[in-house]
Amino acid sequence: MSVFVIGYYAALICASCLAAYFNYRKVFMMVFSLTLISFVLGIIGGVPALRNVTIAAGMLALAAGVSYAFREFLIQIAKPDLAKELRTAPLTASFGMFVVFTYAIAGIFAPWIAPYGEAEVITSAFAPADRDMLLGADQLGRDVFSRLIYGARNTVGIALVATILAFIMGALAGLLAAVKGGWFDQVMGRFADVIMSIPSLIFALLMLSILGPKIWVIVIVVAIIYAPRVFRLTRAVAGNIVVMDYIEAAKLRGEGDWYLIRREILPNSTAPLIAEFGLEFCFVFLLIAGLSFLGLGIQPPTADWGSMVRENATLISFGDITPLIPAAAIALLTVSVNFVVDWMLFRSSGLKEQ
Amino acid sequence: MSKFSKKDILLEIEDLQIQGYSDEQWVDIIKGVDLTLHRGEVLGLIGESGAGKSTIGAAAMGYARDGTRISGGTIEFDGMELTTASEAEKRALRGSRIAYVAQSAAASFNPAHKIIDQHTEAPVQYRIQKRLEAQEDAMKLYEQLRLPNPEEIGFRYPHQVSGGQLQRAMTAMAMSCRPDLIIFDEPTTALDVTTQIEVLAAIRDIVDQFNTAAIYITHDLAVVAQMADTIKVLLKGEEVEQASTEEMLENPKEEYTKSLWAVRSFKREQKSRPTDGTEPIISVKNIDASYTGSAKVLDDVSFDIYPGMTVAVVGESGSGKSTVARCITGLLPPSKGEILFRGEPLPPDYHKRTRDQLRQAQMIYQMADTALNPKVQIHEIIGRPARFYSGLKGSALKQRVDELLDLIELEPSQYYNRYPPELSGGQKQRVGIARALAAEPDFIICDEVTSALDQLVAEGILRLLDRLQQELGLAYMFITHDLATVRSIADEVVVMQNGKVVEQGPKDEMFTPPHHPYTDLLLSSVPEMDPNWLTTLLEERGVDNVGESADV
Amino acid sequence: MGDLLRLVLKRLGYGLLTLLVVSILIFFAVEMLPGDVAEQILGQGATPETVARLREQLGLNQPAVVRYLQWLGGAVQGDFGISATSGDPVMDVIGTRFVNTLFLAAYAAVIAVPVAIILGIIVALLRNTIFDRVANVLTLTSISSPEFFLGYILILFLAVKANMFPAIANLSSGMDLGELLYRTFLPALTLVLVVTAHMMRMTRAAIIALLSSPYIEMARLKGVPPWKVIVRHALPNAWAPIINVVALNLAYLITGVVLVEVVFVYPGIGQALVDAVSKRDFPVVQACSLIFAATFILLNLAADVGAILTNPRLRHPK
Repeated sequence: MSVFVIGYYAALICASCLAAYFNYRKVFMMVFSLTLISFVLGIIGGVPALRNVTIAAGMLALAAGVSYAFREFLIQIAKPDLAKELRTAPLTASFGMFVVFTYAIAGIFAPWIAPYGEAEVITSAFAPADRDMLLGADQLGRDVFSRLIYGARNTVGIALVATILAFIMGALAGLLAAVKGGWFDQVMGRFADVIMSIPSLIFALLMLSILGPKIWVIVIVVAIIYAPRVFRLTRAVAGNIVVMDYIEAAKLRGEGDWYLIRREILPNSTAPLIAEFGLEFCFVFLLIAGLSFLGLGIQPPTADWGSMVRENATLISFGDITPLIPAAAIALLTVSVNFVVDWMLFRSSGLKEQ
Repeated sequence: MSKFSKKDILLEIEDLQIQGYSDEQWVDIIKGVDLTLHRGEVLGLIGESGAGKSTIGAAAMGYARDGTRISGGTIEFDGMELTTASEAEKRALRGSRIAYVAQSAAASFNPAHKIIDQHTEAPVQYRIQKRLEAQEDAMKLYEQLRLPNPEEIGFRYPHQVSGGQLQRAMTAMAMSCRPDLIIFDEPTTALDVTTQIEVLAAIRDIVDQFNTAAIYITHDLAVVAQMADTIKVLLKGEEVEQASTEEMLENPKEEYTKSLWAVRSFKREQKSRPTDGTEPIISVKNIDASYTGSAKVLDDVSFDIYPGMTVAVVGESGSGKSTVARCITGLLPPSKGEILFRGEPLPPDYHKRTRDQLRQAQMIYQMADTALNPKVQIHEIIGRPARFYSGLKGSALKQRVDELLDLIELEPSQYYNRYPPELSGGQKQRVGIARALAAEPDFIICDEVTSALDQLVAEGILRLLDRLQQELGLAYMFITHDLATVRSIADEVVVMQNGKVVEQGPKDEMFTPPHHPYTDLLLSSVPEMDPNWLTTLLEERGVDNVGESADV
Repeated sequence: MGDLLRLVLKRLGYGLLTLLVVSILIFFAVEMLPGDVAEQILGQGATPETVARLREQLGLNQPAVVRYLQWLGGAVQGDFGISATSGDPVMDVIGTRFVNTLFLAAYAAVIAVPVAIILGIIVALLRNTIFDRVANVLTLTSISSPEFFLGYILILFLAVKANMFPAIANLSSGMDLGELLYRTFLPALTLVLVVTAHMMRMTRAAIIALLSSPYIEMARLKGVPPWKVIVRHALPNAWAPIINVVALNLAYLITGVVLVEVVFVYPGIGQALVDAVSKRDFPVVQACSLIFAATFILLNLAADVGAILTNPRLRHPK
């Protein structure tokens, strides 16, 4: 029994006793079940397994701490109304906000943060990490860390533009369809059905094979693919609002469609639309990353996470995690956005189930 | 209380406190209520919305709805303390010894299972009866509750059975284990008056027959007078008073109870049509209407509304009374006939009407919640029509909004910048009225404006509408199913059934016999504050000739 | 039953119409190319003779509508024309690959569907407990991760480090089923992870959405135990959304498989599509797109029909 193992169990048991004493039932259940699991893990995996558990727990604790501090920070700087909302955010949501914030900083200030240029060849291929290159070099000898930072700008930026475009088209059509009804509604609905009945990745591949993988093509094709989804949601949300009596009252007053959309419908549909924007962004982002991974999206030498995974993929068979880093960067952002969206959806639906 | 002796106590609730979770904190909704119920006793719980009557009903089963918790007091059911009992112990009581009848039977039956399968679930689960015995028993109960085809009706799915029948089937289901106590939670509120009677009669019979104790929850005094031995009045989570039904009706002690009893007293002078040849402000001429692809909803409907008068359009759900309003406003162009405004035909579709034609006819809605945009401030809601029609701006607009707020008796400085969700139901309805008035109309359609409100609040709205009519010379078309409202405010009455006008004329004529048979059925079905009313009525009509089964 | 049949037939007709419109879209999208397919395929260095020969070979001298009808007629019989790069019939290129893809999708579905539905029900039963919260975070993470991230993680840990499964799913004829299942385990597991998480969340949401309905409260007040409330009272009414999400995920398995096939170098139709897109082999691209779209539409159709058939109000008309 090493000192580590004794300390490990002592810490867990102390923590569970404290939790039990102060009546934190959930904490106690978690810590104590971890203790029990550790017995089994320790027998099977030995000390390394317990070390891994410690590292994982430490990272979780660190993430929780960062999230907690970041939420407090946001509450301090936000306006009273917003601060009240933020207080209800679970740690996962504030973790998500923190990550989004970090990515935004990385993307905006990329040239100042990255030590090297995005296409700058500085050393030999697959050079290992050292003090100058935090994550080593890629297959052409470019700094992986710098390319990661630039990737935040390129990949996220393009996805954001495509999402905004999809949103403008979809939401506008959805709102108009809800207000106008009749044939316009029908035609738009059928049109959306047709586009949505082609799987998104397949549609994108088809169009890119014809038009070639240029950035503006990607943005427009992706926007067209996702606009129908936004249309459907907006149509549904607005559809629930247009049946309200206050819309009837406004119509009977003789108000125009644009007034109805702007003053009566939009103020009541912002919450679901913002949440939908987050979800749409995740879809768009994953699609663009997937296209890049297949080599049909953003083209080299532009730094882009999807293509970075593809370029370094062979390293994985040597047990090197370099290709996983950009993939993890993609996953982390979508997970984070989803955490925030999950909380917003929960807030806006006001789930009664306690 | 001589009827019940002390040793027969079935349920005893002491100092019950219940909290509800809202805005991130727990607030008291029941603040210390005591309740004693003897075997075979029927206790009526009455109060307005928010009084907590339904919450107490659920608590009597040891049940706290999602988002509420029992925070204090004791609930003792037949010697068993429910607040400390385990979930499993409480579950063993539910359905077997305490049963529940919900407000909306249509929503409370599971659409995926046959009625009889839901009926037998509890007795089979508690091993009181075998499945087939339970089915036999269900059929007997259906017969006792006078359901048509008792042998067969249980094998239907809930959506295949009408609302009144479902409510009776639910009562039968509650009876399936012969419980000691049944909680009736507003069982007839969602029904039409003519259907209500048969359900009331059925419930009363079966409760008498099995000598079951019951808590009958309702907001309708006349209904509770028929059903209960004892009445308890609640207000905002606290008891106001409790007495036997006769005593409570004849001699209420508390001010609040007296005011509840007095609500129906508001009545105003009946006006008659102008005789100087003034044209009617709205004249509905022989209109037919139907929604796309379905059968006729309106069939040859005609009536006139004269300036300054109130015409009540009465009928049960499905009679087409709201469709008439949609035709007049132009939302549903009639397929035949026309609508005249001061003698001039109005374009059938509202898109084709001029701004001035739209301004002249305004509407007030039943549900103030959906009639006001929750994200728009009060001054914008009221000010928009004034700006839209009269082009008022700046201080003139503000002055006009203040004027309108004064008119509806809301303090302008206090309400100017508020949002609708911050207002009470009655205040919202007043804002709805102000929005209609802002257009300076001559004619207002009031669509069930008081039916979603508590009786005291509703009376305030009726008085306000009456005052406005006198001050501004408005004509009202009052759509309602509530004959009490008609009695208090109408000058003329139009009775509708199945899309047709059955009878129309001045109010005093309509309320004195002889009537059209349907009007008669409608009038006689409205519960009265006399505890013997239902008994007398059933004797007059004969048990098999009630409600739905009474064909006219 | 008349109503039900009419609804189903209407939905079927609508599905076929959508399929037709999609086929038109896929065929005529290629017509948007500047110049024509032959020039595009051969590039700028091609001589006029070779272009003309290819044009002849692809039948480009006929009007587009005629070619569309021929293409559609062929497609219905499984003939998608000739691959522009290899000169083999398209069906030979993608035929066996399509079978491989279906195998992989079925493999994943057989594991994922029951697991997801059962876990979804359990999570709904344990809602708002620690277990539910953890499941929420895990499933959300799994949905949000790109397939290639999950795939490479599995390769890193299960293939490279632990050496339990092969990293590359190369198939050869004559393998028995056990061998086949073993070799394709990692790609299947990747798909299972993504799809299970999604289906689980939707099952949970569908059940919880019903838990606030009055008939569920009624069941509770009848003394029905919690598991029975979910299984007997909520589940029968949740079938429509659950069937929908299952179909959606099956469709996803067949189309989203593209990325997974590339990661594991699995010889499926997705790989063929990606190769064809980079080589601009349009007949193959069109054929793959049409097959994917058809599967997608058919599964959605099946889901809608399933939802209609499980609706008690429609199944037992008045």
